[in-house]
This record gives sequence, structure tokens and C-alpha cells, in this order.
Amino acid sequence: MTTSDVLILCAAGMLVSAYLMVGQNALFTTIRLYGLQALLLGIGSAVIAVSAARYELFVTAAVTVALKAVLIPWFLMRVIDRIGIHREIEPFLNVPASLLVCLGLTVVGYRVSTGFAESSQGVSHHLVGVALSMLLIGLFLMVTRKRAITQILALLTVENAVFLVAVGVTSGMPLVVELGIAFDVILAVLMLGILVRRIVDRFESMDISRLSKLKG
Amino acid sequence: MNLLVWTLGVPLVTAAIGALGGPRKFHEAALIGGLALTFGLCMATADQFLGGHVPAAFADALRVDGLSALVLVLCGFVGLLSATYGTGYLRRNEARQLVTPRMRLEFHFLIPAFVFAMLLVAVSNNLGILWIAVELTTLASVFLITFHDRDTSLEAGWKFLMLGSLGLGFALLGTVLLFAAGQRHLGEGMTALNWTRFMQVAPELHPFTLRLGVVFALIGYGTKAGLAPMHTWKPDAYREAPSPAGVLMAVGMLNGALYCILRIHLISKASLGPEFSGDLLLKLGLLSVLIAVPFILIQWNLKRLLAYSSIEHVGIMAVGIGIGGEAGVLGALLHMTYHSLAKPVAFFSAGTLAQLHSSSDFKRMQGGTFNRAPVASALFVIAALMITGSPPFGLFFSEMTILRAGFLGSHATATSIFLAALVVLFCGFAFQVGRLVLGPPRHQADRRVPVPERFDLGMGAAILAAILAIVSAFYLPGPLVALIRAATQVVWGGA
Repeated sequence: MTTSDVLILCAAGMLVSAYLMVGQNALFTTIRLYGLQALLLGIGSAVIAVSAARYELFVTAAVTVALKAVLIPWFLMRVIDRIGIHREIEPFLNVPASLLVCLGLTVVGYRVSTGFAESSQGVSHHLVGVALSMLLIGLFLMVTRKRAITQILALLTVENAVFLVAVGVTSGMPLVVELGIAFDVILAVLMLGILVRRIVDRFESMDISRLSKLKG
Repeated sequence: MNLLVWTLGVPLVTAAIGALGGPRKFHEAALIGGLALTFGLCMATADQFLGGHVPAAFADALRVDGLSALVLVLCGFVGLLSATYGTGYLRRNEARQLVTPRMRLEFHFLIPAFVFAMLLVAVSNNLGILWIAVELTTLASVFLITFHDRDTSLEAGWKFLMLGSLGLGFALLGTVLLFAAGQRHLGEGMTALNWTRFMQVAPELHPFTLRLGVVFALIGYGTKAGLAPMHTWKPDAYREAPSPAGVLMAVGMLNGALYCILRIHLISKASLGPEFSGDLLLKLGLLSVLIAVPFILIQWNLKRLLAYSSIEHVGIMAVGIGIGGEAGVLGALLHMTYHSLAKPVAFFSAGTLAQLHSSSDFKRMQGGTFNRAPVASALFVIAALMITGSPPFGLFFSEMTILRAGFLGSHATATSIFLAALVVLFCGFAFQVGRLVLGPPRHQADRRVPVPERFDLGMGAAILAAILAIVSAFYLPGPLVALIRAATQVVWGGA
């Protein structure tokens, strides 16, 4: 297997995990799927680090795996455990219809990715196509789901997609910037976690559609 | 050591001191003193720039040009005002047992941290650092929004953090795409993301990737600025945040986000010509002004009213940039300056009124506040005149400059719609203010204000802000004018 095969496999795995997140109601499984997605992103970065001889990408890969595949899922699972809510409630759109919509979003993502300069090279084309599809799927998840945790995961999926673009078309941003971004993301997830706990304490529910007092 | 590093270091140290425990008097002195020193350093940095020296640090990752210097000074100014008013605000709330010692620590940590993030935005030359700094302003403001820990503030905080993070996700994608558009020419390492590098290689950038990047980045930073249709977090957040934090968001965060938008616009302009991002900004700006109209007319809450006014003003600035030309840009930057001077008065007086009535809902405040709190009401009327762009105040001149640029340029239709919206907005605002300040109280029994008005630090800060804003209509200090000119030079001359 060549490195480009591995990369495409990773990207495909990320896309599949995004689809599975759409079809999943158990929150623990959704979090694990997100962890898997981040792990694949880390592997992808490591593969590029080897193939393009850009060794600072190893740091990126290590940070990605440590933070997004281990720390964030662990933290979110702990939040769920504390509040004792384990399942998504009926989303605004049912699962088969959601999956069909996501299929359409993937087509759109691939269509847009053909405009890039790098799309002549097969691998980049796939990476960008997958990344844009994931971005759209993340947005879709955010709009249709009601649980606070699922919304956080949707946000993180969007963020993974952005990093996949970064890996796919630029072979990595400058390291300092990348570390700064990782730090900010962690901080944001921590704060979201704290807010979720406060919301559950107050409303005795994680149903975001109940947060609708403020209008006009 | 480098002046720029000091300017950023002082608010950071102030935040650290604020997070530590200590006697109240010491805390207050540290907060106000720290931010006063910060403002002084901001002015010193701007002065250094005007003296012909370009302050920079860390391999040009931080660099001050005309635009940075202007935003830096305005943010430093607002930071100091907010800290002064905030101290008075906390004292008042403490007297009513609404603030616990832990909340006080939170406040003394978050306000300077927010100021630090704003200043970092203003001096970032590296697009990556810029993104990180904007994210920091978001994170610093979340717990300020949920400060009072009401049901509604949790809702506002959640919406703000989700929408803000999503917007920043878009901005990050935009940054990545901009980087991708020019990677071959930008070189390696930290300097590759420098805005100045982008401007050097602008003609070589790959057009498709650049367009996509510019759209994502403008939408992302537009969310932070509160441009419609990404403005929905703003009314909620402004209503829930305590007024000293609200003013940091309404002026500091807005200026910072606009600064990011301008940087992206300039890259796009240098590479694709002014139409692409200019037209997008014009449309978003016009939409923001139009969307504010119905909501100001039917508004039921004082602070939400200010939020829609802020959406209107960011729309006006975007319209000015979108119309372009030296006049349009000058108008937008003048508007930014005058807005930064006028908005604190509005927030401080409205905050005082809301605090006296223990609510910012019109229903609970009732009409006729002038009889109960004459000073705060008078200040609010002055502020309302200023932010609706009445002559002789500054925002009138900046709006006129933008309108003139619009009618003389090729955007007559858009400018006409813009003018009509401004007129309706003025009437709507005047109606709301009249109802609140002069209207009869609904029940005769409510003639008395729950808490009587007293002259204290918060009131002093509000009066000082009002005096400065009024004076600025007739006289702008020479160095400030020089900064506005330098900033216009950056945006228009593309230097």
C-alpha cells in the first residue's frame, strides 16, 4: 500500500465515521466515533509527515491524537456520566432522511473541491472533497440535533474537517499557529462542558430546543 | 524591552492579579491602574508609529501599522472606561448582595483578559495569531455573559459560544484556504502566514482557492462582528452581559472583528480587485442595517435595543468599506472612532438605568425615568442622539461622508436604501427613547425608583465618557486625526 492509499483510506474512514454519527442515537457511541475520526486525522498527518519529510507534522499528529482522540472524548464522556443522560432524543429529521441529505451534501462537497489548484493530484482532491463534505455534515448535525453534547460533537466535526483541509492542501500550518489553535479548541470544549453542566443543573435537561426564551 | 510586548503584557499581568485573592480596595486599584497603564502604553505605541518607527515583535508576527494603531488606541480607551465603570457597577451590585466574592474574582480576571485579547487582535500581523486572538476574545466573554447566572444568561452564553465557535471554524477554514492559495509563494515557517507576506505575493495567489477562503473568512469574522444574518447572538449576549462587559463587546470586539474583516478585504482587493469582497461587504452591511429596523421599532428591552443599534453601526461601517474609495473608507474609519466614543455613554447610562430598576425590560422599567433618575436619563438621551447620528455629533459626519461617497460612486441604489433605513432607524430609536425617558409611568404607585440615583464611580465614568464624546464632536486631538489618516492610507492606499 502506498502512502496515498493510506491517506485516502484515512479520509474515507473519517467520512464514514461522520455518517455513522448522523445515524447514531447513543451518545457514548457518537463520542467514540468522534474519537475515531480524530485518530484517523492524526494518522493521516503522520503519514504526510513521513511522505513529505515535514517532521514538524509529527508534533501536529501527536497533539491531534492526544487531545482530540483521547482527552476531549474522555472529558465529554465524563460530562455525560455526571449528568446521566445517554441517548439523543428524536432529532428534527429522522435518520434515513438525514442520511439521504448527507449523501447530497457529500456530492456538493466533492463538486466544490474540483476547483482547487491541487485537485489535479488525486490525493488532495479526495482529502478536500471529504473535508468539505464533513464540514457540511457537521453543520447539518448542528442544525438538526437537540442534545447539547451532540451539538458540541457537530462543532468538533466541523473543526476536524478544517484540519483535514489544512493537512490535505497545505501539508500543515506553521507549528506555533497550530499549537495555539489546539489550545484554543481545548479551552472552548472545556467551557462548553462547563456550560452544559450548568444548563443541565438549571433546566434538568440537555435539550437545547428548550433554550428559547430570548426572542425579538 | 519592546514597547509592544509591554502593551500586551500589562493587561495580562492585571488579569493575573485579578484572579488572585486580595482586599477589595487593592483589587479595584489594580484593575483600574493596570488598564490605565495599558491605555497609556497603547498611546505610546501609536505615538511611536506616528514618529515613523514601525513597532513590531516576534519576527513581525506582531506589527503595528496605521490601522492597528487606531484600533489599539480605541480598544485601550474602552478598556479603561469599562474598568472604571465596572468597579462602580460591582460596588453597587455588592451593596445589594448580588455579587459574591467569587464573582468579583471572575470579573477582575475576565475584564483585563478580554482587553488583552482585543489588543492582541489589533496588533496581529500573522493571520494565525489573529485567529487565535479572536478566539480568545470569544472565550473571555462567555463567562462574562453568564455572569449573573440567570436562565436566560445560560441560554445567551450557550448560543454565543456555539455560534461564535462555528463562525471561528469558518474563519479558520478561510485562513487555511488563504494559506493554501499562496503556499508556494509564501514560503515556510511562521512568517508564511504574515499579512504583509500575503500583500507582497497577492498577484500570485490562486484565484479559486482565494475566493473560497475570502468568503469563509468574511463570514466567520462577520459572525464575530455581528453582521446580519450572523447577528443572532448579539441581542441575547448584550442583554445578559453586565454593562461594563457589554461595552467591551460592543466596541472592542466589534472593532477587532472589523479589523480582521479589513485585513481579509485588503488581501482580496490586492489580488482580485475591490469588487469581490467589497460587494459582499456592501450587501452584508446593507442587510444588517435593514434587519435592525423592525427590531428597533418593536423592541421590548433596553440592552437589546443597544444590540440592534450595534448591528446597525457595524452594518454602516461595512457599507462604507464596501462602497470604497478614499471617502468611503475614511467614513467607515471615522465611524469606528466616533462609535467607540459614543457607545460607552449609551451602555453606561442604560446600564445605570437598568441597575436602578433591577431590570432592563421596558415593561419593568416603565416610562418616565427622567423623574426618577435625571442624570442617567439625560446621559442616555445624549447618547441616543449621538448613536442615531444626529448633528452636531461625530457619527452624523461619518454617516454623511459614507453617504456622499455612495452617491458620488457607482452605488446610488444601495445608498438610497441605506439612507432610507437610517432615517427610519432614527425615528424608531427616538420613539423608544422618548417612551422610556419621558413617557408617563404606567402605575402612579411606581413613581419611586427601586434604588435612588447616587453619584458614585460608575456615574463619574459615565459622565466622563459623555464629556469626551461631546467634545470629540467639535475637536479631535491631532494625533488621533493623524491615526485615522494613517489607517485610511492603509486601507485605501494598500500600503
